[in-house]
Amino acid sequence: MASRTVAKDVITLRGSAAIVSEFFGYAANSILYNRGVYPEESFVKVKKYGLPMLLTQDEGVKSFIANLTAQLSEWLEAGKLQRIVLVIMSRATNEVLERWNFSIETDSEVVEKGVSREKSDKEIMREIQAIMRQVASSITYLPCLDEPCVFDVLAYTDKDVAVPFAWTESDPKLIANPQMVKLHSFDTKIHKVDTLVSYKIDEWDEQ
Amino acid sequence: MILRTPPPRKRRADSELRESPPDSNRGLVIYEDPPASVPDSAYDPPEQMLCTYQCRQMVKSDFLDTFSSNETLLREYESKLQTMNEDLCKTEAERKKYHDQFLYAEQELAAARGREQALQDQLLKEVNESQEQLRKQMHLYNELEVKFQKEMNMRKTAESSAASAVERANLLETQHSHLSGVTEREDKRVQEELLQLKEESKLSVSRIRADLEIMECKAHHAEKESALLKEQLEELRKQLSESLQQRNELEKKLTSFTASQDPSSTVSSVLVKHLQEELRSYESEVLQARKLKTSHENIELLKEKLMEEKGHRERAEAKLLKLPELQLSMKKLEDELLSWKKLAEDIPWVSKPEDIPLKFAALQKDMIESEIKLGEVNARLKQIEVALESAELSKQNAEAEASVTKEKAELVGLEVKHLESKLSLAIEEIDQLRNAFTGLKKQNKDDTGDEMSNGSLIKELESSLARKDCYIKELETTLHEQRDTNNRQFTEIGLLNEKLNGEAKRVKSLEREADRLRSEISLLELKLGHGDYSSANTKVLRMVNALGVDNEARQTIEALQSELQKANEKLQVVEELKKQSADAGELVESYISGKILHLKEQIATLEKREERYKTVFADKISVFRRACCELFGYKIVMDDQQRPNGIPITRFTLQSIYAQSDDEKLEFEYESGNTNILVNDYTSQHEISQQVEIFIRKLNSIPAFTANLTVESFNRQTLS
Repeated sequence: MASRTVAKDVITLRGSAAIVSEFFGYAANSILYNRGVYPEESFVKVKKYGLPMLLTQDEGVKSFIANLTAQLSEWLEAGKLQRIVLVIMSRATNEVLERWNFSIETDSEVVEKGVSREKSDKEIMREIQAIMRQVASSITYLPCLDEPCVFDVLAYTDKDVAVPFAWTESDPKLIANPQMVKLHSFDTKIHKVDTLVSYKIDEWDEQ
Repeated sequence: MILRTPPPRKRRADSELRESPPDSNRGLVIYEDPPASVPDSAYDPPEQMLCTYQCRQMVKSDFLDTFSSNETLLREYESKLQTMNEDLCKTEAERKKYHDQFLYAEQELAAARGREQALQDQLLKEVNESQEQLRKQMHLYNELEVKFQKEMNMRKTAESSAASAVERANLLETQHSHLSGVTEREDKRVQEELLQLKEESKLSVSRIRADLEIMECKAHHAEKESALLKEQLEELRKQLSESLQQRNELEKKLTSFTASQDPSSTVSSVLVKHLQEELRSYESEVLQARKLKTSHENIELLKEKLMEEKGHRERAEAKLLKLPELQLSMKKLEDELLSWKKLAEDIPWVSKPEDIPLKFAALQKDMIESEIKLGEVNARLKQIEVALESAELSKQNAEAEASVTKEKAELVGLEVKHLESKLSLAIEEIDQLRNAFTGLKKQNKDDTGDEMSNGSLIKELESSLARKDCYIKELETTLHEQRDTNNRQFTEIGLLNEKLNGEAKRVKSLEREADRLRSEISLLELKLGHGDYSSANTKVLRMVNALGVDNEARQTIEALQSELQKANEKLQVVEELKKQSADAGELVESYISGKILHLKEQIATLEKREERYKTVFADKISVFRRACCELFGYKIVMDDQQRPNGIPITRFTLQSIYAQSDDEKLEFEYESGNTNILVNDYTSQHEISQQVEIFIRKLNSIPAFTANLTVESFNRQTLS
């Protein structure tokens, strides 16, 4: 956000990358809170996107998300990031229960020529707010996570990206025959982020 | 001057002259009395102009001259008439020819009419077809409209169902509010009851206290009464004993009296009566005493009751002490109730707490179903919209075509009218020509010699013929044009039909393509949502230090870190010691020397012990070897060696006790659990190598081989 230009409606690649990575940080926090991956009392309320957002106070998770968003913004500025996936798995069996997909489309012209685009800050915030509201309301239809869970973050990058020190290549951690719900998307005119949650079908539901 | 010769006659005069041939045949004409039938007054000679003989001669000669000239003229005229007749014949032939041509033209016209009729029929057919197509399109359009209406109705029904659902929700909300009102009322009632109960309990406590006091008073009274009664009882007892004594005495007296005073029986009977009365009174007193006894017992019972009441009171007091606790728990319960109410208020359409999970499941299912339905309806709506658009387009095309064909039909009708008018004109012309021809015929009949009129008629005929030719040419050209336009229209219609067919095919193919693309899009979306990616241009990375997933690793890292810390602490301690040692070197040296001496002593004792162990071990191993040799028939020599690559191996050399020479040795290599026989001179002998092959290689048993060898060498030795 700090790198946003003075004129409100002009948006640069760096600014867009900052918005998207920050969004992902808040989205991850919101998902971890709403899905009960970490205890409720380890979160504090802050105001963001015109909504009360919850941020974790667990030092480990905080530093993890901070490192993650830093790396993501680096990739976003290079236009190398295709998708970010937040995976929620069972702690006992490592079975993947939920995948929060954030598909990213980058305007290649901006990356190659360094031109800027125009979109008002307010409009982007409104779009992000809609996604956050959907994330918060997703607990009504997602199956209950009634066992201890852990989360992991996967980044789908271009093939030519050098693997950073703290990262390693991984399998996509897919769910066999998942149920999918498409959420809203937001567009900074440089990065377009589509949100989708896929989850393991609850056996209780199928009966 | 005398005018001798008449002026040359005009053509008319000639004709008149021709018309009156009998006069010319009369011969001489006397000028004195000219014939009255001669109409030309211009040639009437005046009376003063009467001729003499000479003059008559002259006139005669003149006449003869004129006669001859007239004859020549007549001949000429005759020849002319002949030529005229020939011309007439020619013109008749021509007329016939023209008539034929006219008939031919009429035929052609009829043919053209027929063609025109055919064309009109065709056009009518086409118009009908197009109208039918239009009708079909309209019908299709109507059907689509009906479908659309149905869809709209479905949508309306869906909307109405949604509205009904909303109404239901409202109803449920009202029910919920009603229920919450009811619960509130119940709560109030419960609270009121509680208050009432509290009051009642207070009242009952006070009542119990009053009762207690009353009872205490009663008890006191009863005690007093009992004391009084006891006293009375004792008095009565005394009286009773006294009376009994008196009675005994009286009885005794009575017996004495009965024995001694029989005569005085009347007195005694009176006495007896008196005594009986006294007895009765005593008996009544005894009954009273018994009653008093029972009352005493009652008093005891009352006392017990009092005790019980006291216990009750104590219990009530204890319960009164518990009352605030109960109130607190009640408040807690009320708070819980409120929180549940809030929760229930937050969750719509839920009246009972048991409904919540059911409602959740129902809502989830409803949502999924509604989403599916919505998707289906949207897809259908889109399909219908597309179909409607295509139908509208085709309808517009058909309308445009129909308008074009109508315009063409109108044009054709106009052309037909034009042709008809032309035809009527031609017919009129023909009629005129006919009339003219008939007139000409009549004239020919009447006066064949009327050349002037003939010439004019011929000219008229020629001009009319020329006009007719022109008309015919015009008609032909118009017919050609009509044909051309018809052909063009046909080709245009054909082209348009082809185009229409092509467009229809294209529309169908596009629809198929759209369906395919839609299914492809849905498949791709599914794949994308699933998380698929092409490994050609994408790779998946994850952060190594994921939380929770590598919990164990983190724990080990933490353990290692703690160990590292401990080691560091130790190092620090050692370093400190080092520093200290530098300071206090001498002290350490003395300590070390002492330590060294102690250790040397230990070493010496340990060495002694080792020596002892060695000797003991040597004894034992020699016993073991000998025993092995005796038991299995082989001397075993063990030898540790190392391979060139540094791996340690043990070599065993076996010599049978029945061996006939020192060369009969078996060598084995033992390496990490595997024993292999080594080839030497002895084992390479034919017999031995066979046995090695059978027992060791095939049967994989060294003991069998050695045993067999032992038996064989034993046999050899004993047999020899």
